[in-house]
Amino acid sequence: MTPDLLALAVCVGMAGVTYLTRAGGVFVMDFIPITRRVEVFLRHMASSVIIAIVVGGAVKGDAIANLALGTSLAVMIATRRTYLALGVAMAVAAAVRAGLAL
Amino acid sequence: MDEPREAVPVPDRPLTVGGMIAGVRMLAPLAIFVAPFGLAFGLAATEKGLAPWVAIAMSTLVFAGASQFAVLDLWAHPLPIAAILITTGIVNARHLLYGAALYSWLRPVPPLQRLPLLAVMTDLAWANSMQAAERGERDAGILLGGGLLLWLVWIGSTAAGALLATGIGDPKRYGLDVVMVAFFAAAAVGQWRGRGDIAPWAAAAAAALAGLWLLPTGWHVIVGALVGGVVGVLRDDA
Repeated sequence: MTPDLLALAVCVGMAGVTYLTRAGGVFVMDFIPITRRVEVFLRHMASSVIIAIVVGGAVKGDAIANLALGTSLAVMIATRRTYLALGVAMAVAAAVRAGLAL
Repeated sequence: MDEPREAVPVPDRPLTVGGMIAGVRMLAPLAIFVAPFGLAFGLAATEKGLAPWVAIAMSTLVFAGASQFAVLDLWAHPLPIAAILITTGIVNARHLLYGAALYSWLRPVPPLQRLPLLAVMTDLAWANSMQAAERGERDAGILLGGGLLLWLVWIGSTAAGALLATGIGDPKRYGLDVVMVAFFAAAAVGQWRGRGDIAPWAAAAAAALAGLWLLPTGWHVIVGALVGGVVGVLRDDA
């Protein structure tokens, strides 16, 4: 096997592993009765995934990223419009970055 | 024990073309920010010695940016195949939770339609679908359409980066890292249902913080999610 073909085979293996993670949660749920308790768990788990990603982003992000994060939160709480929140957050981040570059 | 019951009524058509178009529209603004990362991946992969077509194949087949960048760090000859596959599994394990969390959408979808649908369930497409679900939308086409759009952008931008291979610099300059976190922050607000959420959210945040220090890359999401889910159930039982 040439190195490129081996690399392709590794990519196929990675794709298989990744697909198992994407399909696995749904597959397992097919065997779990949806009780009220399971429903409550899933709902809180879903919002907790998002919280955990935001926490990770805040810790890893620089000051400008965190400013954008805070702006997005504030605009979203005020208006509940996702893309307005994103647009204002990106504009603030870009403006601060441009200001720092001057 | 409480009786098993249907979580939500089953829609007549769980996946429609209209839903797919809606998903494309919703994610189009974010797709612009995915492109610089695909460019950076294509460039980094060729610099690591991957043939451009292998880099493109990886983006096409795997379609999970964080894990693709992670395995580039391991890429050496001879290829550490086991380490590459294990790293891929660890970095992507969060998808297990995504599928479970979106189960009420995915359950009514026939198995043959689920296969391609799940292949494109990435972070952004999933978070967008969760927001749509929270607004009461019931069409899994939103996930499929949005996911396919990001997939095409990811492949195209990887190809551009691998083939043109000009210095595009740090992808941070183009702000995907910022827009991702800002998008998830907005998605978090969309999930808020009232004061009952305070305890599970605080627990999730604390567990995620601990996980960032103590666990391999990406696992803070998994512990945060599981702890938040358990605390939510405990509160509900009380």
